This record gives sequence, structure tokens and C-alpha cells, in this order.
Amino acid sequence: MADALRIQDLRKDFRLGFIPKTYKILRGITFAVREGEIFGYLGPNGAGKTTTIKCLLGLIHPDAGTIEILGRSYRSPRARAALGFLPENPYFYDYLTAREFLSFTGDLFGLDRDEKAARIARLLALVGLERAADLPLRKYSRGMLQRAGLAQALINDPKLVILDEPLGGMDPLGRKEIRDIIVRFKDEGKTVFFTSHILQDIEMICDRVAIIVGGRIVRAGALRDLVSERVLFTEAVVAGVAPGAFAGLGESVSVQGDRVLLRLYDESQVDGVLDLVRSNRGRLLSLSPRTETLEDIFVETVTRT
Amino acid sequence: MKIGAIAGITFKEAKRDRVLYLLFFFAALGIVASRVLALLTVGDRTKIIKDVGLASISVFGVLMAILIGTGLVYKEIDKKTIFTLLAKPLHRAEFILGKFLGLVLTLFVMTAAMAAIFLVLVYVHTLKIEGALLVAVAYLFVELVLITAVAVLFSSFSTPILSSLFALGFTLIGHLSWGLDLVVQKMTPGLGRTLVRVLATVLPDLENFNFKTEVVHGLPIPPGIYVSSLLYGLCYTAFILALAVLIFRRRDFV
Amino acid sequence: MVSAEFPKKAAGTLVLAGLLLLSAAGLAALKLSLDRIVRKKVPGSSIIYVPSGKFLKFATFGYRALAADAVYLWSIQYYSTPTIDDRFDHLDHVYAIINELDPRYQDPYEVGAMIAVQGAQENQAQRPEVARNLIAAAFSILDRGTANNPDQWIYSFDAGHVALMNLKDYALAETYFEQCMRIPGAPPFVERLRANAIYKKGDLQTSWETWLDIFKRAPDERTKRIASNHLYQVKAAIDGAALERAAAEYRKRFGRLPADLATLVRAGLLREVPKDLDGRDYVYDPATGSVRTAISPWRR
Repeated sequence: MADALRIQDLRKDFRLGFIPKTYKILRGITFAVREGEIFGYLGPNGAGKTTTIKCLLGLIHPDAGTIEILGRSYRSPRARAALGFLPENPYFYDYLTAREFLSFTGDLFGLDRDEKAARIARLLALVGLERAADLPLRKYSRGMLQRAGLAQALINDPKLVILDEPLGGMDPLGRKEIRDIIVRFKDEGKTVFFTSHILQDIEMICDRVAIIVGGRIVRAGALRDLVSERVLFTEAVVAGVAPGAFAGLGESVSVQGDRVLLRLYDESQVDGVLDLVRSNRGRLLSLSPRTETLEDIFVETVTRT
Repeated sequence: MKIGAIAGITFKEAKRDRVLYLLFFFAALGIVASRVLALLTVGDRTKIIKDVGLASISVFGVLMAILIGTGLVYKEIDKKTIFTLLAKPLHRAEFILGKFLGLVLTLFVMTAAMAAIFLVLVYVHTLKIEGALLVAVAYLFVELVLITAVAVLFSSFSTPILSSLFALGFTLIGHLSWGLDLVVQKMTPGLGRTLVRVLATVLPDLENFNFKTEVVHGLPIPPGIYVSSLLYGLCYTAFILALAVLIFRRRDFV
Repeated sequence: MVSAEFPKKAAGTLVLAGLLLLSAAGLAALKLSLDRIVRKKVPGSSIIYVPSGKFLKFATFGYRALAADAVYLWSIQYYSTPTIDDRFDHLDHVYAIINELDPRYQDPYEVGAMIAVQGAQENQAQRPEVARNLIAAAFSILDRGTANNPDQWIYSFDAGHVALMNLKDYALAETYFEQCMRIPGAPPFVERLRANAIYKKGDLQTSWETWLDIFKRAPDERTKRIASNHLYQVKAAIDGAALERAAAEYRKRFGRLPADLATLVRAGLLREVPKDLDGRDYVYDPATGSVRTAISPWRR
């Protein structure tokens, strides 16, 4: 399977201030996104996520390194012909309506009139903006702008979709919709590359991730490989047994009435608790093993670096 | 065509700028006020009307070109609409050219409107349409096109206020550079004189587009100058736009 | 809460409205009273301090003609304000600026000269030196007009007219009319004005020749008649001068004036008694020794 996006040793410094002080933002970024997968790009604020995206879009000129988009060098504008991009905060021409804006975007890709009109109708339906299509963008809420942005990113039926924080600022229903749309992209054979702070969403839909800290990639790989299925601890909620009875069998996290919440770090302790419950004629209300999440990995990685 | 698409939305955006209509209002006022001013003169009334009318179109046209042109690129960067735009398969040159052409189109409409009012007023006074007046307005427009290019150039790397000052400076120098020829005549041959000669050739000479005096007095304009002036304007415009694209291509949009 | 706020807000609006009205009335009244105070206003006279039009050409950035218009319009208002006593002091300078800015603007030349002549006439009695300067200014303006517009005959004509009427400098008038004649498009009567100026100058011989030339080239009856009348006048002047000279000589010799013109012939002072152009006798007054024509040259 070919690479939709290949970045090799990307470096960028910024010189700011009257007496120029050099800030190294990207210190040699290397990773690849395979065709047809959903790729998550994570990192703390200021790590260089948006800078990386701007480099591959041609908005920033890197100091060193190569970028290949769908096999083409990033330097040529044609590399962006099969690309769709949604920026972090949507900034569009607020005096245009959504329909006019999509029409203009379509013109920039050289779509002919009929094809353009068909796609606009389809996209407006997809993102749920049919009713507001002829209102100026000025009057849109943040969520509506996000949807309009998604529509303009798809007008050229791109093979690679780049989304910068697509789920930020949306309500839970909106986030689910976007997640579903992203998964649908994958089903259609598109490649999706997106950044996000909301790790639960990444965990839910990404195939592979890369974690960038301080301008360097510190962890990268398939999600399955990064997040082991190791059980960290098991939480049990028990009723009808005195808390003291559980001494030596793990932590008693909280007590409410006759309910006890226990955290058991050892698998053998689980059996011990179950025996205790049965022998005291208590009730086992819940038993949930807690596996390692992406958030755990992320926090551990960032604090280690 | 991509440049056309950008020109189209630029035209749409410029149309909404209230500054444009304010300046147009004052231009129309100026042209009509010339009628009143003409009452104060002893002798040829039409001359006052023509002079004030052409001056109004010229002054307000330049103001329109500068005030709107200097905000064109800056606003896109400031409002960050440029991110999604340049993420498209577009050369940066196409962006600059599109913006430029959009404003040129806007100015064309405005100049035509002002010229219409002007010609109607002249017709009311003299009961004839003078083709020469149209020629003067046409070359005023060529000057406006060049000034627009300058405004876009400065807008691609500077704030609107500084850009406006620079563009205004360009216009003023353009109307003074003919004086360098007089300076050259008075200098003794040498390095200084060569330097001034070079300056006189390179600095813009906007007087080449100024046919106001000839047209008002009905003096003949040497036919060779029509084509030469037009080409000079186009060449200088191309030069400025090339410079703008050169600077714009190297920019990082953080 | 709202009902407690409302009277406060209404009171506030009332105060503001009152303040507005009061200040508006105040400023209107004050403006009227200020207008009534007489101040020596010399509108726009800072133009006097502009060194020359050459400087202004640079400061106008391509709007030279408009600047010329503006200064011209101002000058008309300025010079028609009689309360400005010293307004004539810099007339030539002001019009020089206008002419330098727009040399092809015709009105200022004529109007400037006209204002100068008018001013000269007004000041002739009280301030003759001002009048003299103004006439000089008129010529300066008109000369500039001719220099900048060699195709315009009117400036030479105006200058000749001023020389003729105001200065009564007939030699100067002749020069200007001659200059005027040479410009294509000059009206035919200019050469007649020149011929008459030569007559008034006192050069009778040249005057006769000039008028004869005009008579011979006359394209119509009217011109012929005018030329003929002038020729009559010139001949009468020549003859009259000769006769009076002879009579004075007679008186010197014989102690008294001759009784008639024939006596002069008999005395050998004249070869013959000249007749006027029509063949009539001149009328001689023995008491004064003066000679005049029997009929007016213009009623022949």
C-alpha cells in the first residue's frame, strides 16, 4: 500500500523579535500516512502540530526535509489537487453565503458548472446545512461554520483529507456526527489525517497515531501496538460487606452507605473479593477491568520527554 | 479560470466597502460643484467645469485605488481566510493577480460612473460630447491601474496604514519626477548627473498619463504618445506585480 | 428595578436635550455677533508670498491647470473687493503665477490687464504712481500673453489699445498694432489703427504712405472710403502745417499776417496754394493765421 503522505526529516526555525531570536519549532519530523487509513496526530499545545500541517500545505516554507503528498512533492500546487483541508478555526469570507463559498471553492479546483452544482447539493446535505445554505457565513454559529468548512474541504472529492482539530468546540452530538463522517471517508477509500486533543475520539477511530512533543516525533505506530491490552486495575463495587473485611485485598477507594468501591491491582485479589462477597452474602454491583488508554500513554510520554 | 474566480470574489468584497461609495459621493459632489464654481469666473466657464471634473475623477480615483488596494491582501492575512485559500492547488501568483484584477474591475466601474456624470455635465454646458475628454479619463484609468498594482505590492507585506503612505508617496513622486529632467540640465557631466539620469528613468513618471491640460485647452496630443504611454503603464504595472509576487512567494503564514 | 431606573434615565435625556439646545442657540447667536465685528480680512492673500509660479508647478502634482483655475477664481473675488486698499500692489505677481501654471489659459491675460487698467484709472487722480505701476503691469501681463500664445492676436491688440487710450503713447501703440497685424487671423481694422497711430504720432509722411497703401488694397467700398477720409485728413494736416508755417514766416518778414493765401504765393513763400484732397480750398483765418478744412474729413 502506497503512502498518502510521507514526511522526512522536516525542520523549521522561526526568527522573531527585533533582535532575531531563533525558535526551533520542528526538529526533524519523520512519519508516513498509508493510503486508506485514519491517522491521528497528537501533541501538547505548541508542539508543532499546526506548523507541520502548514508546511505540507505550502503555507510555510520548511528549512529542511521533504514532504510527499500522494506521490508528488509538496512544492507543486498540483500536489494539493486531491487534498482537502479544514483549519482549526474556520475563517471564511463572511459576506458570502455557504453556497457561494462552495461555488468559489469549486472554481478554484476547476470544476465545471454542472458537476459543481451536483457536488454542492450533495455536500450541503451531508453536513446538514441545506436550510442555511443561502445565509451569509457571517450569521453562522461556530458549529455551522465547522460544517461549512468540512463541506469546502470535500468539494474536490479529495483522496487525502487533512483536519486540524475537527472536533474542537462541538457538542457531543456534533462530535459523533463528525466521527461517523470520518469513518465513512475511510470506507470510501479516503485517507484521513487529523489532529485532536480529544483522545477518546482518536482512540475510537484512528488506525495509527504519532505523538509530537517539542518538535519531534516521540511515539508513532498502530494504535493497537501502542495501547496494550494490559489490565491496569479492576474496579469493583460491592454492597453488604463491611469495608474492614477487605483489608489486604486492595484499596478501598470510597464508601457510600453500605456500598464500597474497591480498586484491585492484582488479578488474584479479584477472586478473593468474590469469595468474601459470597461468604458474607453481599451483593456484587459491578466489576470493571480498566485497561491502558491512549490518555495514559500520552500523559506518560509527554511527562517523560 | 482560477484568477477569474479570485477576481470575482475580490470585486464582490470591494463592492461592499463603504469607503468606495463615500469617495464616489465626494467625486460626484466635486464634479457637480464645478458648476457652481464656474459661476465665479470671468470668461470661459467650461474650463473650470472640465478642470474640476477631471481633477475630481483623478483625486478620488487615486484615493479609491490606494485605500482599498492596501487592505486587499492584508485583510486576507489578518482574517486568516488566506489559509484555506492557499491550501488549494493555486500558485501564489494567481492569488496576487486575482486580487489585482478584482480591484481593477471595481475601479473601472467606478471610473466609468464618475466619467458618465462628468460627461453629462459637460454636455449640458457645451451641448457636445468631446472625445478628447474620454481620452483624458482613459489615461487617468491607466494611471489608476498602476497605482493599484503598487497598493497590492505594499499590501502583500505591510499594514494598511504604512502601505497607504508608501502608495501615496509613489503617486507624489510620480508627479514630481519630471522635475529631475530640469535638474539634469543644470548639472555638470559626471557621476552625479548619471545617477540623477538613472533615477529619472527608473522612477515612475505619472505625467505620461496626464492629458488633462491638453484636453481642456483643445491642444493636439502627439499621436505617438498614445501607444507609448499605454505600453509604459502596462510595463511598469507588470514590473510592480512581478515584484509583489516575488515578495509574496517567500512569505510564511504563521 | 426598571421602574426606578426609568425616571432617572428620562431626567438624564432631558438634561442632555436641554444642553444641546442651549449650546446650539449659543453658538448661532455668537456666530452672528462675530460676523458683525469688522476685521480687515484679506482672503487668501498668502498667495502674495509664493515666490513664483515655478515653485507652485511642483507643489501641484499634476493638477497645474486646476491650481491656475483656483488662483484665478480667487483673484477675481479679491480684485472686486473695493475695501482692500492695497490690493493692486501685487497684481502682476498674482497673474504671473496663474500664467506660469497654465500658459494657455487665455482669460487671465485679458482680465488681468483689464483689472490693471481699471485700477489705473481709479488711482490716476489720488495716487498717480500706483496708476503708473498698474499700467506697467497691464503691459507685462499682455506681453506674457503674446509670448506664451504667439497665435493669439488679441493681446497685442489690447496692449495697443491701452497705449493709445490710456498712455497716449502713439509710438508704442504703433509697435503693438504692427505686431498684432502680423499674427494670422488679426482683423483688418488693426492696420488702420496702426496707420492712425502713426498719424497721431506726428509722422505725417509715413502716415500718408500707409493710408495710401491701405486705400489701394481696400477690398470693399467702405474700407476705401475710410482710407480716403484719412488720406484727406493727413493731406489737410500736411498742407495746413505748410500753410501756417508760411504765414508765420510772412508775419516775421512783413510784421503782419497775410490777408489771404494767394498773398503767400505772391510773396514767394509758396509755390502754389494747395487744395484739399477733393480739390476744395482750405479756409484761412487772417486774424489767427490758422488753416482748416472747409469740410470735416468724415462728412465728405
